[in-house]
Amino acid sequence: MTGNIPYYNEMHHAFVSKLQREGYADNVKIIIQKPYPDPISWSNAVRKLVAADVDLIVTYGAPATLSAVRERIKIPIVYSGVYEPIAKGIKSKNVTGISFRVPVSSLIRYLRGVTTVSSLGVIYNEAEEDSVHQLMELMRLSEQYGFEVEKIRLKRPEDANRMLSYKKTDAIFITSSSLVNMAADSIINIAKANRVPTVSLLSGTTGSEAIITLSVKPGEQGEKAAEKVIKILNGIPAERIQAESSRGTELIFNMKEANAMGLRLSMDLITEATRIIK
Amino acid sequence: MKMLPDCHSCGSRNPDAVSAKAGSYTKGIGFLFSQETLDSRFHGNDIFGAKLKIIGLVFFILILISPLYAFSEQKELLIGLIPEENIFKQMDRYRPLAAYLSEKLGIKVRLTILSKYGDVIDRFASRRMDGAFFEAFTANLAMVKLNVEPIARPMNLDGTSTIKGYIFVRKDSGIKSIKDMKDKIVVFVDKATATGYVFTIAFFRENGVRDIDSYFSEYYFTGSHDSAVYAVLDNRADIGSAGSRFYQRIIDKDPAIKNELQILATSQEVPDITLCIRRDLPPELKLRIKEVLLNMDKDPTGKEVLKKFGALRFISAGKADFKPVFDLAKKAGIDIIEIR
Repeated sequence: MTGNIPYYNEMHHAFVSKLQREGYADNVKIIIQKPYPDPISWSNAVRKLVAADVDLIVTYGAPATLSAVRERIKIPIVYSGVYEPIAKGIKSKNVTGISFRVPVSSLIRYLRGVTTVSSLGVIYNEAEEDSVHQLMELMRLSEQYGFEVEKIRLKRPEDANRMLSYKKTDAIFITSSSLVNMAADSIINIAKANRVPTVSLLSGTTGSEAIITLSVKPGEQGEKAAEKVIKILNGIPAERIQAESSRGTELIFNMKEANAMGLRLSMDLITEATRIIK
Repeated sequence: MKMLPDCHSCGSRNPDAVSAKAGSYTKGIGFLFSQETLDSRFHGNDIFGAKLKIIGLVFFILILISPLYAFSEQKELLIGLIPEENIFKQMDRYRPLAAYLSEKLGIKVRLTILSKYGDVIDRFASRRMDGAFFEAFTANLAMVKLNVEPIARPMNLDGTSTIKGYIFVRKDSGIKSIKDMKDKIVVFVDKATATGYVFTIAFFRENGVRDIDSYFSEYYFTGSHDSAVYAVLDNRADIGSAGSRFYQRIIDKDPAIKNELQILATSQEVPDITLCIRRDLPPELKLRIKEVLLNMDKDPTGKEVLKKFGALRFISAGKADFKPVFDLAKKAGIDIIEIR
């Protein structure tokens, strides 16, 4: 589990709860690794688990999953919360899991409903492939919709304040990077102070919520991962357990903050939102 | 032909004639068409009398083409709207039309949005509606259950007055056939829509899926065509169904969407939204409503209203137009007569 972000914590909580409900709490020992979001830490975390002679590795998020896959271990790996375009590239036989597909274009459409976007700040981490993939997708969309992408490359969560202080954009896009989401509260608060709307691909569960979030429920992904783990514990090889894409996409509109920032109230967004924060 | 009543203003003998314009519609019609009596009034040599008669005639014609006359027994018309899109947008489209009809008919035309498609039949009766703009399936249902009569429907800006049902997915979903749809999430508009449900069920049945509960992991209803399209776009559902007009309107608003969605199946054309009215309304009123609607495009004010409504003009509608909907319902295994 990369970093310590609410989204993955909730996913893990649902994973453990499911194992408990299914009667696996007493005979399964869980060792948790929360590496800092960088390639060396991910790799070290995987190696520690291999050294601990674990029977199975569960990964949350694309970078941790890819690191585990690249270690070329034979231990079964069950991933959860992996951005689907990245998950599609994982071909190892010992790997299965649950990915999520959230169209970046939908977030842009809803964002354009609440404000005029001429320049979009995209906060990403170069070391996280899902985050880079989303940046590339946004650059492609910028040509279609006629806005400029301002790349904001975050190297450390504590740099968020400094990085945003000199970037003046109409809106900020928070990619699904773990490192970026470790700084999500700061990013949202700085943007709010500057009356700049934010959009995000991961819901804040316990922290601050962006103005618009299109996200797959973490709990559901955690439960699905647990189901796959149970199958493996019961002797079914990972290669026979089909990887799947998760359901339960949520569209969250933070109307309270949108009102406070004087944004347009988009009827499409109000109608379509699965959750409205008032 | 009705007897021609006399009138003070043109020197005719019937003292009740003027009040007739505010009285029953039948009397007004009688005035205009009693050619024999009119002719007899111009046979005299009295030029002054002839002038009076001409003025009188003009006056009556003016009465007849103006909205001043009313339908004594009908105080207002209550027209229902199916919530086919965002209700705020929908009311913005229909309000000018209602105002125009009110002015032309001399009767207040009120609009009411039915809370959802499914309760159309019950609400039509319980709220004593005089008519409603029904989509194809509900129009069929209303013709059978409420004995309403289709009178007119708009011709859309693209020159069509029909609508098709689409079944669509995201292009990156990997869904290309009914086999790929297994265990996916389907989104419908409402059970009582031809393009947003009935066609989709017919398609599934024709392709071997008779039990949607077991074939799909989940299905739900959005209540509007727009929402069904957005649900698939946002990946909140895998497979969607909606009417072609709504689908196209979303793409017109944002052409980039065309690159994200893929239409997998298209239904045959069925009538688009159609105004159906109670069969027991006064025949003259029914005729007049139809006349006003069908002639809107010849009137500058009417043209403006049509523009706001998003139509070129209204065209005549009849029961026979709805045969494709009956056929579709049959393929979907839906017996319209048995629906409660």
